[in-house]
Amino acid sequence: MEKNKFFNRVLAYFTKPSNVIVVAFLIILLACIVYPLYSVLSLSLTVGQMDSLMYNSLFGLHLKKGSFSLLNISMLMFGKYSAEYSASFFWSPLWNSIRMSVYASAIAVLIGGVVAWLITRTDIRYKKFISSVFVFPYIMPSWTLALVWKNVFANSQVGTGVTGMLESLTGICVPSWFVYGIFPCSIVMGIHYAPFAYILIGGILRNMDANLEEAATILKADRWRIIRKVTLPIVMPALISTVLLVFSSTMASYAVPVFVGSPGNFYVMSTMLRALYSGSYSGQSYVMTLVLVLIGIGMLTLNQALIGKRKSFTTVTGKSGQVSYVKLKGNKLVSVIMVVVLFFMAIFPIFSFALESLCEVQGDYSTLTLKFWLSKEDIGGFQVAVGKGILLNSVVWKAMLGSILLSLVVALVVGTSGFLIGYGVSKKRGSRMATLLSNVAFFPYLIPSMAFGSIFLAVSTKLLFLRGTFLLLVIVASVKYLPFASRSGTSAMMQLSGEIEEAAIIVGAPWITRMTKILFPIQKSSFISGYLLPFVSCIRELSLFVLLASSGTLITTLLSYFDERNVVQMSNGINLLIIMVVLLVNFTTNKLTGASIDKGIGGN
Amino acid sequence: MPEIVLKNVTKKWGGFTAVENLNLEIEDGAFITLLGPSGCGKTTTLRMIAGLETPTSGEITIGGTVVFSSQKGINISAAKRDIGFLFQNYALWPHMTVYQNIAFGLETLKWKKPDIEKRVAQMLETLQITQFAQRYPSELSGGQQQRVAIARTLAPSPKVLFMDEPLSNLDAKLRGEMRTELKRLHADTGSTFVYVTHDQLEAMTMATKICLMKEGVLQQYDPPLTVYNHPSNRFVADFVGNPTMNFIPAKAVKLSDNTARLEMLGEKFTFTSENSFMLKDGDISVGIRPEHLPISPKGSVPGQLTGTAYSTLPAGMETTVKIKIGGTILSSVMFGSLDYKVDSEICFTVQSDRILIFDVDGRCATSGTVTK
Repeated sequence: MEKNKFFNRVLAYFTKPSNVIVVAFLIILLACIVYPLYSVLSLSLTVGQMDSLMYNSLFGLHLKKGSFSLLNISMLMFGKYSAEYSASFFWSPLWNSIRMSVYASAIAVLIGGVVAWLITRTDIRYKKFISSVFVFPYIMPSWTLALVWKNVFANSQVGTGVTGMLESLTGICVPSWFVYGIFPCSIVMGIHYAPFAYILIGGILRNMDANLEEAATILKADRWRIIRKVTLPIVMPALISTVLLVFSSTMASYAVPVFVGSPGNFYVMSTMLRALYSGSYSGQSYVMTLVLVLIGIGMLTLNQALIGKRKSFTTVTGKSGQVSYVKLKGNKLVSVIMVVVLFFMAIFPIFSFALESLCEVQGDYSTLTLKFWLSKEDIGGFQVAVGKGILLNSVVWKAMLGSILLSLVVALVVGTSGFLIGYGVSKKRGSRMATLLSNVAFFPYLIPSMAFGSIFLAVSTKLLFLRGTFLLLVIVASVKYLPFASRSGTSAMMQLSGEIEEAAIIVGAPWITRMTKILFPIQKSSFISGYLLPFVSCIRELSLFVLLASSGTLITTLLSYFDERNVVQMSNGINLLIIMVVLLVNFTTNKLTGASIDKGIGGN
Repeated sequence: MPEIVLKNVTKKWGGFTAVENLNLEIEDGAFITLLGPSGCGKTTTLRMIAGLETPTSGEITIGGTVVFSSQKGINISAAKRDIGFLFQNYALWPHMTVYQNIAFGLETLKWKKPDIEKRVAQMLETLQITQFAQRYPSELSGGQQQRVAIARTLAPSPKVLFMDEPLSNLDAKLRGEMRTELKRLHADTGSTFVYVTHDQLEAMTMATKICLMKEGVLQQYDPPLTVYNHPSNRFVADFVGNPTMNFIPAKAVKLSDNTARLEMLGEKFTFTSENSFMLKDGDISVGIRPEHLPISPKGSVPGQLTGTAYSTLPAGMETTVKIKIGGTILSSVMFGSLDYKVDSEICFTVQSDRILIFDVDGRCATSGTVTK
C-alpha cells in the first residue's frame, strides 16, 4: 500500500513536463561538470610522461607516468626545485595574467562606458552607425585585433622580422615592447571587450529611469554632480560586473597572448598551460588548470558579494521614454572623431586582412597577388606544407565545414537547452531544484575556456571512447555556452505570465504545441538570440578547442596553426573568411528575425 | 509672486502635436490640476513648465522671469527655475538612504551641515518617517517611499511644486489619505502646486482650479464646481463626474430668447433658461447629471416619467439605478440603499435648474430647467 502510494507520487511528479526537464538537466549537467572537475583534481596529483622523467632525474625518484604525487604542485608553485623554476613557469605568468587583465578591464570599461554614456545620454550624431559598428570587435574573434596589430606594427627589427604596414609605408620601426608583450595584449583585449562593457553599461543606462537624474536636476545639481552622485553609483553594480567579467575573460584568454605575447616571450597562465601540456608535463598543466578554475570561481563569487542587495534597484517603471539628451559641446567634432576611431577598430581590420592575404612578400604592397586565394598549385616557400589557395584548398574547406557543422550542432543543443531550462526554472520558480539547476547551468561560466578544454582533455584520457572525437567537441562547447542561453532563456520565460500557458492547457493543447505554437513565438527574438550566440561564439572559438582538436579539424585551429608557423597570408585570409561568416550569420539572422548579439541597445 | 504664465505654448514630436497653442495663467498659491485622459498632453505641459522638456514654440514665465521663449531664444534649465518636482514613480535614488535622499538638494545648495541636519529632521517629522531615516528606498513600502519623495521635494522649500500623478502607484485607501495630506501641505506651505492626474475625483477634490485637456488642446480652465456645473462642452461634461452624465438625444425648436421646446424620451418638454441663448433648431443632446433624476413613488409628484429597472447598484451610502426608457438607459443616483427588481416599473422626474443643452458640435449652449 505504502509502496503504491510512493510510486503514484513519483509518477504524478513526472507527468509534469517541467519536472522532467529540471531533473533531466540536473543529472546531465552534474555529470558534465562534477565528473570533469574530479578528473582535473585527480590528474593534477598525477604525474605526466615528462613530469616523471623530470622528477626522477632531479630528485632521484622512480615515479612512472600516472603515479600519484604532490610534486606537481610543489614544483610548479612552491619552488621545490628552485625558486626560479616556480617563478618562470608559474608566478611570472600569473603576475602577467593579472597585470594584463587589470589594464584590459580598465581600458574596456573606460571606452565602453564613455561610448555608452554618449549614446544613451547625449545628442551625439550618427548614433545608429556608432552603436552597430562599435560591437564589431566583440562579434569578431578576439585575435582579430591582435592580428591587425601584428600586421601594422611588426617590423624588421623585431621578432621574426616580418615587415608590417607601418614600416612599409613610413619606414618607422616601433620598439619590441610595442609589438609584443603586455602592452599590445592589454590594449587589444581592452578594445575587444569594450563593446561588452558598452552593452552592459549601456543597458543599465538605457533602462535606468531618467527621472532619477531629472530629480537631481530639479534639486539644482549640476551635470558633473549628477554623474558623480547619481548616475555613477547607480551603474556601479554594472561597472563592477563588467570589470570582473572582463577581468576573468582576459585571465582565461589564449588567442591574444599567443598572437602578440608569446613571440616576445611574454607568457600568461593560458599560454603556459598549453606549453606545459604540449611538452607532456601534463601533471603541472592540470595544476595550472586548477588555479585558473579557482580564480574564475573567486571572481564570480566576489561579483556576487559586492553587488549588495540592500541598495538594489526599486524597479518601478517610469516614463523613461522622455529622456532629454545632453547637448554636446563640439558635437560635430566628437561625432567625427568617434566615427574615425570606429573605422580603425571595426572596418580597418577587415581591410587589413584582405590586403595582407594578397601580398606575395609580407608587407610589400607592390607584390600583390591572388595566389593565396586561387592558386591551383601547392604553394611553396614555407617551412610547412600549405597546399592550394584558400578557396581551392581541401584542408581549409574541410576545417571550415567542420567548424560550421560543430557550431550548428552546438547552437541547436545549447539554444534548445536554454529554452527548456528557462521553461523548467520559470515553472518551478522559487523551488530548490530550480535554483540549483540555474546555478549549475551557470557554473561553466566560472571556468576559463582554456581550463575547460583542459578539463575535458582530462576526461578524455579517462573515457577513451571520447578522445579526439567530434562528440567531445560538441559536449565541451555545449556545456561551455550553456550559461548565457540558460540565463536569457530563463529571463525570457520569467517575463511570460503563467496564465499564457494555462490558457492553452485549458483548451487542451498538448505540451509540444504549447511550446512551439505559443511560448516560443512570443519571445521569439530572445530565444533565437539563444541559438545565434552559441553559433557565433563557437565558430570563432579557439582557446576552448586548442587542446582538444587537431589543427585541421576546425577553421580556428587551422588559423592558429598557420599563424604559429608564420604563413601570414594564409592566416589573414582564413581570418577574413571567419569574420565574413560571423558577420553574415549575425546580419542575416538580424534581418530575418530581428534578433542580434548587440540587441537591446543602440540608436533604434 | 511665482505666478506662472504660458503663452501660445506648442510641443511637437515630428508630425505629432502633443500640446497645441496652450495659454494658461496660474495664480500665486493656487492648486492647479492638469486633468485629462492619458496622452492628452498634461504630463508634457508639466515637464515643459518644469524645464525637463523644451517646447517647440511659445513663452513661459515663472514669477515674472521669462524661463522659456522661442522668440527670444531663452531656455533656462530646470535647475535654475527654483521649483520642486514629484515624480510618478518617486525617482528615489536607490543607492542613498532616506536621509541622504532628502539632504541631497540642501547639500547642492551648499547649506551648512547643522542646518541640513535640522531641516531633514524637520521634514522627516512632518511626514512621519523619522524612524526610516537610515533605510534604503528598496526597504520601504510604496506609501513610505511616497513620503520620502515628498520630503525630498519640499526640503529646499520650493515656491512652486510640480507633481506628476504622484498617487497613481498607491492603493485606493492610501491614495485617499495622501489626498488629504497633500491638500493640507498646500495650505501649510503656501506654495503654488501644479498637479497632473487622470483621476477626475482627485482633481475635483483637491484643486482650486482644473485645467482639462484633450489631445493637446485646452478644453476648460475653471474652478472644480464650475467645471462640474457649467462644462464648456460635451467632452468636459462626460469626463467629470461619476457616474457619468446622461446624454439624451433630443430635437429642439427655439420658442423665444430663453425658451425652447424639446422632444426627448418620447415626450415633449419646455426648456427655460435664465439667460437668452443661441441654438439652431434640430438635433441636440440634453445633459442631465444622475443626481438630477430623482426616483419617486408612482403618482407622488407631478411630471413623472416611467421606465423600467435595468439594473441596480447599491453602494451602501448611495445607489445607482439604471433606468431603461424607450431605447435609452439612464443613470440615477439616490441617497441610501435601494433595490429594485429587474424590469420592475420605476417613476422618476427631471429636477434641476442645471440641465445642459449641447448643440450638434458638442458645445454647451446653455443651462436651465425642463418641465413636462
